Amino acid sequence: MQRSELHRRLERIDDVRWRIPRSARDDMRVDGLVYADDALIAALGDDPALDQVANVATLPGIQGESLAMPDIHWGYGFCIGGVAATDPADGGVISPGGVGYDINCGVRLLRTELDEGDLDGRLERLIEALLAHVPTGVGRSGPYHFERRELLALMREGVPFLRRRGLADDDDVAHCESGGCIEDAGPELVSGLALERGADQCGTVGSGNHFVEVQVVDRVADAAVAAAFGLALGQVCVLIHSGSRGLGYQVCDDALRALRGVPARYGIELPDRQLACAPLDSEEGQAYLGSMRAAANYAFCNRQLIAQQVREVFERVFERPWQRLGLELVYDVAHNIAKLESHQVDGVEKLLCVHRKGATRAFPAGHAEVPDAYRAVGQPVMVPGDMGRASWVLVGGPEAMARSFGSSCHGAGRALSRKAALKAAKGRDVRAELAARGVIARASSRRGLDEEQPDAYKDVDRVVDVVHRAGLSTRVARLRPLGVIKG
Amino acid sequence: MPWQLVDHTADVGLLIEAPTREALLEEAAQALMALIVEDPASVEERETLDFELAADGPAAGPAADPADLLFDWLQTLLVAVELRRVLLTRFQVRLEGRGLRASASGERIDPARHRLAHEVKAITYHGLAVRATRDGWQAEVIVDI
Repeated sequence: MQRSELHRRLERIDDVRWRIPRSARDDMRVDGLVYADDALIAALGDDPALDQVANVATLPGIQGESLAMPDIHWGYGFCIGGVAATDPADGGVISPGGVGYDINCGVRLLRTELDEGDLDGRLERLIEALLAHVPTGVGRSGPYHFERRELLALMREGVPFLRRRGLADDDDVAHCESGGCIEDAGPELVSGLALERGADQCGTVGSGNHFVEVQVVDRVADAAVAAAFGLALGQVCVLIHSGSRGLGYQVCDDALRALRGVPARYGIELPDRQLACAPLDSEEGQAYLGSMRAAANYAFCNRQLIAQQVREVFERVFERPWQRLGLELVYDVAHNIAKLESHQVDGVEKLLCVHRKGATRAFPAGHAEVPDAYRAVGQPVMVPGDMGRASWVLVGGPEAMARSFGSSCHGAGRALSRKAALKAAKGRDVRAELAARGVIARASSRRGLDEEQPDAYKDVDRVVDVVHRAGLSTRVARLRPLGVIKG
Repeated sequence: MPWQLVDHTADVGLLIEAPTREALLEEAAQALMALIVEDPASVEERETLDFELAADGPAAGPAADPADLLFDWLQTLLVAVELRRVLLTRFQVRLEGRGLRASASGERIDPARHRLAHEVKAITYHGLAVRATRDGWQAEVIVDI
């Protein structure tokens, strides 16, 4: 693979922002803008992610800048951490490459009324029970099976469909991004193959970087906002990371196949085939938008059904109904998505298509789309770190709307390739190392654990520091891992 | 080594080399399976699946090129693994027109004998390339993990 030359063209704007000037390449329509500090930029080296920021800057109808969050790294199509808004009224396009295969991959945080001491003597049993009960890993199906007609309704209605079935309550709906349902979904546009892949995977974690992690709040940075989110020092929480499973992968695949030859038909030249796209107001663009929304609603339901199974495990281990354990949803947020949102561009209100590829929505206090319970403080933003160090809860920041189309980082970002991580793990026992740090890690694959070892990731504290200082989202609470199950 | 892992930060890159295009498609399939199961040698040949790919599917754009065919072939195998719950270990590919016919032998996934490594989410178009070299054919493909 070609390494990037663009790091030499980076211009430092201030201590958290770097510009890739439009003049760096003759096909860029707007500047690239990377949020990072000096160390994160240095660590990026000549990673092709910067080329990907520039590639996205060539998309028709792109507004403002082609953005990258500080967890930026090399992806396919967009970089991971990439944000781009396009204007349908200006020939703007929608690209499956700006969403990814795992449509509405995201995270959800559950709080409990337990504190760390309540886990004494029961943590290992809890983690083993989670591993036994919650399906993780390759090719695992779950206990829930949906017939075609049910799947179509689930993809149209999202989490409210599960509420009708008694598998979600009012707070589960209210505390999801978009109320757990992106409107105007087109489940009828989803292929039979995608439906087949999705029939028995709703409620399964998958593998790769997906997980269910039991954590404890080990630092409160903003007491008022933490209280609004129901979080306090010493409290046990559960963080869930998964997406739309095989159904979403197939929707993306079908869309890319349908888009073969389409960009050329609209006179769009692309620097990367993975950026295949269509104008938002075209039949092809609308078809992808509809099927993508349907897959996104499936993903909200997937995380809801994982949460239900987590609740069942806690009930068994602690011998109390989950409601009495306070196992409530703090928030569920998407980090691979494209959504139509209102934003100001040069003082003009526009309806834009905001692509977030490994980036999290981060709406500030007062925004109409923040749930009632949090509107006075802002939207919760969950940033998983790695399984050895920490994760963060942030809140949508004052500058997010003006600077990043209401977006923030989505994780620590990988520092090592999977190949390099495997090499680094040779001769070591990652599971034992984590145990020595007080983290019980269980995975259905040892290789998965080696590839996901803490050193494979950047330091999440540093990444969070950048978005905090940039005002995209600000620190609320830090969560330390106690135990994790992975695929 | 007919195939090797190539560094990619988030996912996995594969570099595959073979004397013919048919062998390239067979080696690419082997490489894909080696990502899915930790020890491909643990997979026995108990059943054979047949595949037929037309280069121009119903939604295809202009004439498919060798890279598109590689993409479609690997994607077809991923779906077979997921829906039929099989692991495949031996492949025979025959190019036919602009498409292919293939057979693949393997067995159903048995958690007691097969240690699974990755769920490969998808094949990507990013950096996808199939090219003729002095010694035969070479392919580059990045898969989403």
